[in-house]
Amino acid sequence: MEHAEHNSHNETSALKIALNLVCATLISGLILGVIYAATHKIAEQKQVELKQASMISLVQADEFKEIEGQAEWYEALKDGQLVAYILPAEGKGYGGTIAILVAISPEMTVLKYTITEAAETPGLGAKAAEPLFSDQFIGKDTEHLVVTKDPSQKDLIQSISGSTITSRAVTNAIKESVEQLSAFVQEGGK
Amino acid sequence: MQFWKIFSKGLILENPILVLALSLCPALAVTSSVATALTMGATVTFVITCNNVVVSIVRKWINPKVRVPVYIISIATIVTIASLVLQAFLPLLYKDLGIYLELVVVFAIILARAEVFAAKNSVVRSFLDGFGMGCGFIIAMLIIGVIRELLGNGSILGFDILGANYPAALIMVLPPGAFILIGYLVALFRLIVKKWEKRQKVREEALS
Repeated sequence: MEHAEHNSHNETSALKIALNLVCATLISGLILGVIYAATHKIAEQKQVELKQASMISLVQADEFKEIEGQAEWYEALKDGQLVAYILPAEGKGYGGTIAILVAISPEMTVLKYTITEAAETPGLGAKAAEPLFSDQFIGKDTEHLVVTKDPSQKDLIQSISGSTITSRAVTNAIKESVEQLSAFVQEGGK
Repeated sequence: MQFWKIFSKGLILENPILVLALSLCPALAVTSSVATALTMGATVTFVITCNNVVVSIVRKWINPKVRVPVYIISIATIVTIASLVLQAFLPLLYKDLGIYLELVVVFAIILARAEVFAAKNSVVRSFLDGFGMGCGFIIAMLIIGVIRELLGNGSILGFDILGANYPAALIMVLPPGAFILIGYLVALFRLIVKKWEKRQKVREEALS
């Protein structure tokens, strides 16, 4: 008798506990749903705006046209003339993935790049976004997109001291993009 | 007076990082520059204050057996709301915070304040406790961030202070530098707390 009573008490408390958790998750889910519905359109729009802004910071152009068949590849047009291609590049840095947006001229040299996503060490790998490093890429073709630690090799990319991994990741990612693009263009993509 | 005590204990005497030694992970990970340290501090203050209020409101309806899961749900909800709102209105800041924003969910200090304080106290007191702890967190993050950025990069908030010729001590922006620095700061804060306690004792004896 005593045992049964104990049991039934346990059951109600288990039910109560379950209900407690159900309520908590239900309320949390409801709140999150409402807020998501209210914000996700704005967030998506902001995302597009940000991307446009970062593309404009790369090349002066009045139109960015997506290349058919290639996700996230763009042609930058100015007065109807092709001035650059814009491609995403990705490398594995010291602190995870480094996402880059590269502008490449029709002659297959690098115009400029911007890092859109990175978690590199501030003061070390994060310097990859600074002009001292990034200006080295201007006008480089695939043959010269090689990292070196030898300061006398002025044609190549000088590694950031203490951040060889980041320097290599950025350079190789950009090199790969240029190679992909030139293969695509040679095949008659356009 | 009593409210001031609840608020101010988190600033120095029970500083979450340097005295309670909770949440050392963010103190190491995001203090290599002052800007990220401050953003993290503000985020944690927001989350810990909101969570303390929520936990204090619902404390009477929660079965003690499932209180920790409910606290975690509450923290996760608040963090997700913060990240959704940031994503929509301040996408650049959201990008800077990156993975650390989601990691706020598991910061020990937030759960600790819910369990130790908010579960047993009224809404106003819990609010003050959370806000005080958050401010203490910001103070600690700021001290660590300023020293690390200044020694490791020669700048504060990105502005060059020590000039371009300053031979930056790289170790300070790397995790080992943070460990060493936090060790010294913890020692310093222990000294301060000890001294304060001694003075308090003398004062009490004089009163009695």
